[in-house]
Amino acid sequence: MSAVEHTSHDTGHGSGVPPHRRGLLMRPGFIRGAWCFALFFLIGFLLVEGIRSFAGWDPVRDWNIIVLVGGLTLGPIGFLLGIGAFDYWLYWISGRPTRPENHDSHGAYTWKDYFKVNTDHKVIAVQYLATTFVFFVLGGLMAMLFRAELAQPGMQFMDTQTYNGLVSMHAALMIFVFIIPAFAGLANFAVPLMLGAPDMAFPRLNALSYWLLPIAGTMFLCSFLAPGGAFATGWTSYAPLASEQPIGQIFFNMGVQWAGASSILTALNFLVTIITMRAPGMTFWRMPLLVWANFTTSLLVVIATPFIAGSQFFVMFDRVMHTSFFVPAGGGYVLGYQHIFWFYSHPAVYIMILPGFGIISEIVSVMSRKPIFGYRLMAISLLGILVLGFSVWAHHMFVAGMADWLRVPMMISTLLIAVPTGVKVFSWLATLWEGRIQINTPMLFALGFISMFVIGGLSGIYLGSVPITIHASDTYFIVAHIHYVLFGGSVLTIFAGIYYWFPKMTGRMYSERLGKLHFWLTFVSFNLTFFPMHWVGLVGMPRRVADYSDRFADLNLFVTISSFALGASVVVFFYNVIVSWARGPIAGSNPWRAMTLEWQVSSPPPVFNFDEIPQVVGGPYEYGVAGARHAILSGGSLQQETPA
Amino acid sequence: MRRGAIVRIAGIGIVVAILVTLVAVLIPWLPTPASQEMDRIEFVYWFATVISIAIFSLVMAVIIYSVMTFRSPPEDESDGPSIHGHTGLEIAWTIVPAILVISIGVLSAVVLSQNSSAGTNPLTVKVFAQQFAWRFEYPDNEGIKSGELVLPVDRGITFEMESADVIHSFWIPEMGQKQDLVPGIETSIVITPTRTGTFTLVCTELCGLGHATMRAPVRVLSQPDFAAWVKEQQAGGSKGDPGAAVFASAGCGGCHAFTPAGTNGAIGPNLDNVTASAEKAGQDSAAYVKESIVDPAKVLAPGFASSNMPKDFGDSLSTEEIDALVTYLTAAKQ
Repeated sequence: MSAVEHTSHDTGHGSGVPPHRRGLLMRPGFIRGAWCFALFFLIGFLLVEGIRSFAGWDPVRDWNIIVLVGGLTLGPIGFLLGIGAFDYWLYWISGRPTRPENHDSHGAYTWKDYFKVNTDHKVIAVQYLATTFVFFVLGGLMAMLFRAELAQPGMQFMDTQTYNGLVSMHAALMIFVFIIPAFAGLANFAVPLMLGAPDMAFPRLNALSYWLLPIAGTMFLCSFLAPGGAFATGWTSYAPLASEQPIGQIFFNMGVQWAGASSILTALNFLVTIITMRAPGMTFWRMPLLVWANFTTSLLVVIATPFIAGSQFFVMFDRVMHTSFFVPAGGGYVLGYQHIFWFYSHPAVYIMILPGFGIISEIVSVMSRKPIFGYRLMAISLLGILVLGFSVWAHHMFVAGMADWLRVPMMISTLLIAVPTGVKVFSWLATLWEGRIQINTPMLFALGFISMFVIGGLSGIYLGSVPITIHASDTYFIVAHIHYVLFGGSVLTIFAGIYYWFPKMTGRMYSERLGKLHFWLTFVSFNLTFFPMHWVGLVGMPRRVADYSDRFADLNLFVTISSFALGASVVVFFYNVIVSWARGPIAGSNPWRAMTLEWQVSSPPPVFNFDEIPQVVGGPYEYGVAGARHAILSGGSLQQETPA
Repeated sequence: MRRGAIVRIAGIGIVVAILVTLVAVLIPWLPTPASQEMDRIEFVYWFATVISIAIFSLVMAVIIYSVMTFRSPPEDESDGPSIHGHTGLEIAWTIVPAILVISIGVLSAVVLSQNSSAGTNPLTVKVFAQQFAWRFEYPDNEGIKSGELVLPVDRGITFEMESADVIHSFWIPEMGQKQDLVPGIETSIVITPTRTGTFTLVCTELCGLGHATMRAPVRVLSQPDFAAWVKEQQAGGSKGDPGAAVFASAGCGGCHAFTPAGTNGAIGPNLDNVTASAEKAGQDSAAYVKESIVDPAKVLAPGFASSNMPKDFGDSLSTEEIDALVTYLTAAKQ
């Protein structure tokens, strides 16, 4: 098919210098990334200067445009080129010999391999998780900074520009470069293993998707250095405010593009992997629910993400090209921004929770030692959420001034989405029923998730009702709701997933005592932080305010103190993960006695996952069924199935 | 076994329900309503709360009971019974929640339509928002203008709203209703105040640096008092300084500290010593102040890197208003 000679495993590279023998400057890596970034920035700079001086535009040196073209568009492409994300494709395009069977860049043998372009989905998963948790910590510290400002009415530590910047940055980091990609990281690890596949369908694309992510996060953070401060219009970045802001705003507009590209490429990769790379016998109705959840999520990502990309491009074009997408004076339609934005950003809420549903389904079934209750309805309810999820976006706009007739239909579809969600909750409860429940850290997080998500879901019912939303929208009630859904929901499932797969990823066991401590600290301080926000919002405190009326002072002080406790609880998690990874007890291949395929290989799994292709013969959750098997592996990996 | 389990779950559920009900009842979750619309919103709120308490108590009861009853020690390696599902149960927990949420939806739709009707004799008030101030006009009362929102009690009021720059949002917490003001389109909302008193109008849509302090005073008067207020305004307003009235109605205090007006905004420069700044710039103070109002970006006060001040006061204020404002600002401190 290709013009390239496919030779044997060992001596695969016909010619061309192997990357690690090249000089420091030419070797794929951060050094080449740095100078390629500089080179591409310079190209962008000259391009802008050249065109502007040729056309006679004043001023010739417009830093807004130079930063946009050189710093936020071409520079990152240069970085990707330098780090080596395009090497294989460029070799192929230019007709030079590629090294198709050389797995130099597959698998991690030292810690340094995690800092290179790597095509192993298990390495990429760790890269995703480590990167996203860096952004999680930064986003959390920012939240503590602005909570400090909110401890008292009046302004104490910062001006309003800084405050608005911190609030916007907190949300942008948490949503675009923590929750969404952290789920992509966990799924990257688990999905190919659960399917019985040696890797993702497109390993090089997978590597590229990962490397787009630190670019997006760094771009957000760099806006703090921009004159005028960081983008300060909230993560929603509504037009026309966003088109009038200082230059920091375009760091958000472009950062979303890079994060969005990462999401879309990963989602395509998951879809192709799930459709084409299932092991023999792995029918759709035998797939674990985590795979179902990521299948649905990927469909949401692929369909919805282009809309936010469009909305951010349009609002940026209004600024830099003087188009009038959302400028009323030029015939633009301000509410158009919100329609396009929420057509992505409501499905994005499901992008941020469906993978969590998948994780919880795995854990609840395994730890209850029972089949998941109503497996098919669980899968169908995911598809129900997928379809309904595209018909509810305007419930974010009940007070926005859109067409009146849209409000009632959008309210009904919003309320109906509670039905498939309720099906999932009740099915988890029924799975617990008469089980042999093992209360360990993943299970605690799963149970904590179910109870917190029910609160977030119920406050969502209030917000579905138009009259209540008219009172509650844009207040702290919204802040409380979104944190019950995204922290009580998504973040607790991410923690659950990390504890659950930690022994598989690292081969070592985390400390159960510290894990439980982490859970209880998080659970209690989370509720103390966010529950009072429902109240302060309903009685009259708007969100996104740097200053507030004196009558809200006591509650805000209480929330601030609780939020510091919540921040501190994360320290226990990091201590546990880092120390256990280095020195934890050896975990064995299947400490949870789970049936899904990832637990049937060694911990950590072999570089290509399975020494032989597994034969799937039954459902993934057949606990308590005498003699039932999910898959048959006759080879060596099954032998290791002896928990210590 | 089965009957015992149901009794115990019911017991736990009742305990949880009582606790949650106490939280729902003892904490004053909503402000004391001050409009018919808020009364109706409160009714929907309690309707949703009853359903929520029931669902939350049920879920928590099952979780607590299951963890208490079915917990196994770590060394127990047995599996649970292989229950794969139960069609009847699955149909039930699809249909019952659907009925509950649709009942909330129907009630909400009815309340929404009631809350959108201003009754037979509505008063129209126009609302203008700009960064970071509110202004009001009363077209039914010979177009009087005000920086304070004064409303008659027990009369439906239709607010017709416009924004000059970015999106703002109109909310008086005690009156429930909220509506964005969107540049380029006119939006509207209905409020029927039910009790007299003073309230605060706040902006709830992030609109820039001064968003947090973009507020306006609201006074609800008895109908005779409102008529008296209208008459007073038509007679040329209160006997005070006309410049002070412009300062208030144009919302200058939202960003500027000015001792005579008692404002302490910190978004823009302090105005207490404009005369001194004018002298420093070597300009006549009246001309200097006027220029700063009409063309704020031309000369920037020290410490302010860029001008966040709206650039359209030259159009939105009349020449007389600007002159009155200039006199007010320069005369205050001599």
